[in-house]
Amino acid sequence: MIKVHTQFLSHFKELAATDEDVFELDRPLVSELATRICDRYGPRMQAVLIDPDTQELNARGTMFVDAKGRRICMADPLEDGDVITFMMGIAGG
Amino acid sequence: MESRLLRVNLTTGEMKGETIPHSIFERWIGGSGVNNWIMWEHFLTHDINCDPRGPDNIFVFGVGPLAGTGAGSGIKGRITFKSPCYNMFGDSAGGGKFPYYARFSGYEYIAITGKAPKPVYLLICNGEVALIDAAHLWGKGTEDTHAILQEELGDYPSKVHTLSISQAGENQVGIAGVVSDALRIHARGGGGAVLGSKNLKAIAVQGNGGLPVARPGEMLAWSDDFRKKIDGNEAIYGFKRRGTLGAVEMYQHIGSHFWRNNQGNKFRGDEIRSDNWVKKFQKYSEVCSSDCFIACDSKYVIDGTESEPSKKYIGETFRRPEYLTTGSAAGALDVRDWSEVAHWGKITNDYAIDNQDLSCSISFLMELKQRDLISNHDVAELFGHEQSLRWGNMDDIEACVESIVFQKNLFGVMFRDGPYFGALKYSEMKGKNFMKYAMYGKGGASFTEEVRPYPTWMNNMAVASRGADHLKGIGLIEKFQREDLSKMYFNGRTEAADLTIPDLKGACTALAENQVALLNSYGVCLFHWMLDPAEFTPQDYYGKAYAAVTGIERTPEELMRDGERICNLEKAFNSRVGMRREHDMVCERWMWEPNSEGLYEGAVGADMFNTVLDEYYEWRGWEKESGLQTRARLEELGMEDVADVLAKDGALALT
Repeated sequence: MIKVHTQFLSHFKELAATDEDVFELDRPLVSELATRICDRYGPRMQAVLIDPDTQELNARGTMFVDAKGRRICMADPLEDGDVITFMMGIAGG
Repeated sequence: MESRLLRVNLTTGEMKGETIPHSIFERWIGGSGVNNWIMWEHFLTHDINCDPRGPDNIFVFGVGPLAGTGAGSGIKGRITFKSPCYNMFGDSAGGGKFPYYARFSGYEYIAITGKAPKPVYLLICNGEVALIDAAHLWGKGTEDTHAILQEELGDYPSKVHTLSISQAGENQVGIAGVVSDALRIHARGGGGAVLGSKNLKAIAVQGNGGLPVARPGEMLAWSDDFRKKIDGNEAIYGFKRRGTLGAVEMYQHIGSHFWRNNQGNKFRGDEIRSDNWVKKFQKYSEVCSSDCFIACDSKYVIDGTESEPSKKYIGETFRRPEYLTTGSAAGALDVRDWSEVAHWGKITNDYAIDNQDLSCSISFLMELKQRDLISNHDVAELFGHEQSLRWGNMDDIEACVESIVFQKNLFGVMFRDGPYFGALKYSEMKGKNFMKYAMYGKGGASFTEEVRPYPTWMNNMAVASRGADHLKGIGLIEKFQREDLSKMYFNGRTEAADLTIPDLKGACTALAENQVALLNSYGVCLFHWMLDPAEFTPQDYYGKAYAAVTGIERTPEELMRDGERICNLEKAFNSRVGMRREHDMVCERWMWEPNSEGLYEGAVGADMFNTVLDEYYEWRGWEKESGLQTRARLEELGMEDVADVLAKDGALALT
């Protein structure tokens, strides 16, 4: 079992009603983390987190990155202590 | 598909309507594409090396065929001219209701030449046109100008919608823009100075005419599908509430702001760096286009209880700032209070002045002061009195703004054309090289975001036809590391989404420029596309709406070539005024200084710059050594006539 820290920014912060959380995962995978987040925060979080067509992480208007700023995907492995950040993705304005 | 063009010669007072034939739309799509062609033709019979502030320059307004049709894709009008601040191609988009009311009034395109003997405004009302004395408007900001015109012209056959300049435009300040309905600025490139040089204070339109739609049923079906896609997207709901300010927290996390002249890339104010203030003070309001399914705009009202600085602005109301208004104030100038950031947005809009050029000019000087590279005596020399130039101090910032708008002192005169030319002049005057602290690309002010970790964005800043700019080639694949999009556009290859290598980054610039050229020619807002670029493809998804409205059938491949053709015409304009590869460059800080903080700390632009630029020219089919276009590529695009003009001017590659 590993512990993964999550940070929620802007719209994700509203959906989770918190700006950070910790998840204990049996399987060290992003897919496991995504499932647990959806279970904890409900269907609106699921709607923005998971693409229903591909069952991949939703890329539309979002940006989910690890501590080095790399975009993550469902198959990526996780390690104990990892920090994953969930953000709205937009540029310019 | 046909449109009406109004030609106005302000020197003679002659005004003539003409029809833009279908064949022009077949070649140039509409909006910015048609504007570019009108300007290109103008400079076949007028000296392209003319003074942009002289009567030979042209100012074109145009609006694309989707605007106002109920497509729901937002509306952008486009102004096009030879830029007085950068002395090259210039154009700028702006929203609001003016663009589609121009269509309702009978003219979708307006071409202004010459110079009026005294200040006037142009009124267009259901096809009738008049030049009217504007002595009572001269010397006023855009808010007052709009209010006066609304009052004196009444509400029949529709409310009055305006495009106007402020005192900055009247004073021919190179970074002065033009404002639609006193709310939404066409900021870039100095269109306000062009109108000011022509003594044209405003264009006012009234009308209740209809719009031609080739296949209305098909258009409505497209619109309905678009609305469902937007309403069914939870992420887009988040952006409906925040608009472009949805970027604030993401940029804070990854380090993508532009702090203190880009010495850093994170906001420092406790409140301004979160998006709590964005939601807390926003109220929905009808201030942007009514033909938009996202409707992200909102307004603020300051009651004085929000913070200590807000007491100065009790009762002030305006649109809530966009991201780059925030980026220029909270970032470039380190303003930390949201009411002051909002006030910055209000005054720069009322003065109709580009807040990117403006903030980079002020922050350049503030950094020189911070580093003790200039003394109090030097500052007094620029302003005519002592000026503390403290980061984030609104009194100091407003003094700088008014110096430029009203051309009050040496600082105002020196920086009237933005930070690049201002820094050059100041370096020359002091006999020192201060260019290390000037933020720019291709002569245009930097836009106030960090670009060093992003090779495509860096290249965009170097090659954009109107000077450093993200809205000519916004690099979504790279910034959001979208492997799916990279595969979609580059035959299954993923490198375009990898920030750490130069591969496909020049290709991404060319791709994004072509796509943005299409959207700008349709007359829609870029924001919708950016929220879901895999779904709302300009060449395919939007292409169907374009076909329904115009009856012009195009495959996605043909539309991408249309976008490429539009980009090539802008490039050809700049080649004619002497721009070559050496002008496709960015400032020293972006090139050589390592990115100082954030997730991508240490990134240095120079590591990939030339490799990416070479690749960009390759994908464009241009000559690498000179940066010039080749006849072969222009002929492939059906631009033999353009190649002939370039050859005659010695501006075509010899290979």
